[in-house]
Amino acid sequence: MSSKINGHVSPQPCPHLLVFRSRNGPKPFRALQDCIRVKPPGGRAAIRREPTEVPRCGTCEESSRSRLYACVACAAVFCHAPLLHSHASDHSLSIPGHEIAVDVDRAELFCCACGDQVYDRDFDAAVVLAQTVNATATTSTSGSTAMQCSVAGSQPENLRKRRRVDYRPWEPDSGEHISRGNQSIPLLDAANASLVSSTQQPWGLRGLNNLGNTCFMNSILQALLHTPPLRNYFLGDRHNRYYCQQKNGAINGTKNSRLCLACDMDALFSAVFSGDRTPYSPAKFLYSWWQHAANLASYEQQDAHEFFISMLEGIHEKVEKDKRKSQSPAGSGDCCIAHRVFSGILRSDVMCMVCGFTSTTYDPCVDISLDLEPNQGGSGKSSSAKSLNSFNVEADCMRPNQNCGISTLKGCLERFTRAEKLGSDQKLFCQKCQVRQESLKQMSIRKLPLVSCFHVKRFEHSSIRKMSRKVDRYLQFPFSLDMAPYLSSSILRSRFGNRIFPFDGDEQDASNDLSTEFELFAVVTHSGRLDAGHYVTYLRLSNQWYKCEDAWITQVNESIVRAAQGYMMFYVQKVLYYKESENQGTS
Amino acid sequence: MSHSHELVIKSSMSRPPPPPPTTNKDQQRQNPSLQEINIKLIQSGEKERLKELLRERLLECGWIDEMKALCRAFTRKKGRNNVTVDDLVHVISPKGRSSIPDSVKAELLQRIRAFLASTAD
Repeated sequence: MSSKINGHVSPQPCPHLLVFRSRNGPKPFRALQDCIRVKPPGGRAAIRREPTEVPRCGTCEESSRSRLYACVACAAVFCHAPLLHSHASDHSLSIPGHEIAVDVDRAELFCCACGDQVYDRDFDAAVVLAQTVNATATTSTSGSTAMQCSVAGSQPENLRKRRRVDYRPWEPDSGEHISRGNQSIPLLDAANASLVSSTQQPWGLRGLNNLGNTCFMNSILQALLHTPPLRNYFLGDRHNRYYCQQKNGAINGTKNSRLCLACDMDALFSAVFSGDRTPYSPAKFLYSWWQHAANLASYEQQDAHEFFISMLEGIHEKVEKDKRKSQSPAGSGDCCIAHRVFSGILRSDVMCMVCGFTSTTYDPCVDISLDLEPNQGGSGKSSSAKSLNSFNVEADCMRPNQNCGISTLKGCLERFTRAEKLGSDQKLFCQKCQVRQESLKQMSIRKLPLVSCFHVKRFEHSSIRKMSRKVDRYLQFPFSLDMAPYLSSSILRSRFGNRIFPFDGDEQDASNDLSTEFELFAVVTHSGRLDAGHYVTYLRLSNQWYKCEDAWITQVNESIVRAAQGYMMFYVQKVLYYKESENQGTS
Repeated sequence: MSHSHELVIKSSMSRPPPPPPTTNKDQQRQNPSLQEINIKLIQSGEKERLKELLRERLLECGWIDEMKALCRAFTRKKGRNNVTVDDLVHVISPKGRSSIPDSVKAELLQRIRAFLASTAD
């Protein structure tokens, strides 16, 4: 009954709507569009012939009914309450061709004969247009990369080129079964068995020696070593350190002539996945990283998140030097493997609260830093009252009256994407008003990365009190995470209500190319104080959890992981994460 | 489905405050009809403000989420293509009306009374 356009269900018109359209030309709701009124700016859309019109039912003269519909054919207004009385239905029955009406308070099309909502692409586009006030190109207020955000109802429908296929784990067919048995050898045969512990640990588990307060580095390295796309890249010889060094003139005789963190990563992968289980000392890597991040070169404790960011930058920098200035748009990930894996795009909408003009900017990001709730177990009211309904935030938020006091990752993401009123001391310049005005800001995710890294802001630095402190509050995180509610398409849909969305092709592809389901594979935890703490990483391999604490790796129960104090959580797209069978080495 | 319907305003407004005991002719003016109240509310913009307030309160207390869940459950049972807006309104209206928290009702009634008092001729 309904077809998918751009990945979203587009309802088929009912027979009455079809007839109506065939009789009234290509744009049958054109006249109606002039009656769209939006108050306050950016708020809900209503239908009024005159701005001050008080709609009332033409039959019973009542204006206090909860559902009033205006007939699109003759503009007469009627009430509709199917079981009590429906003068709208009476009207549609009495005059053929007058079945289609519009809800005057919600600007939604309705078929009185079918008793159901119907949709028209052009009309919905016009409503969205009216609610966004201005459909022309927006410019960046922050000076960073900006893209056009146009709401055009006249764009042709962008049919998906690929049919979406649901994820299914791979099973060998009969032919593959046979060749597996005949021609393949188990990875762990008798010769290697002595190197492997009796518990048959998975490939690539190897402790990393602490070289002097380097647990911040070891914890991140363990997570990266088991980031599926990154692991596949390096193990697949996509960055060969010998070839790279040769190319960069290592043969000149000068040692370390060209610093390349990717080469060092390659060496690390080779060492860790060699099958040797004795703890490895990543000294070369540490030294290379010191050269890259000179300001952080010391034996003092560092922040794992800072290290993570600087490492990605290091990999990116080196690669960029080789190629000419990359033409690829920011956030596409075409520049280097680090960005290919971690880079996503965030969308920021800033709406002027006086005129409703919305300015949209896009910024690439390699992770998302989340604030913990300001007050745990307290009144959820104070935080939800901040989210104004002019942005129609009917999000799937945690119900404050159910607040049992536990912070969750999803709660943090919900807060991250909530519309937030900026304080009066943070007025932003409005293009339309040409002055600084109070604004409403809302973040959403325009494009998901292959791997989502969530960083929990546990270290608070207060410039006022000139001190820092650590927030130890527990944060619950799921093993499986669906990011769909935080995408720009979802956030915008909840802002505008039930409409066919006239997005330009770009918007659709970004969010529909890959699935929104993610699986947790690594958790970096921090215990202790700000100045004297310890990082530990938990890895999920073959659906088992392993605790990596510098040189020591032990298998742990998942409940230990759930109870841990998460500092950084790594999720990979479900399609890239294969939950291998429990039994290895069986045919 | 379309946005939840403001059933509360309707139910609270169908029970206007009881008339004062005196039978003075002037009572005619002091007891505006439902229609008159509604028009006053709309023309002054107060109805829109009340609706926004109501939406906020219903969101906070989880009423909207509950209604959504009811709609989803009903739609799942009947099948997505066998459900209309009228069906949904019919199904959730009684449950919706009965589950509005008393505090929300009280707050809105108070606002309406205050408004009427402030605009009384």
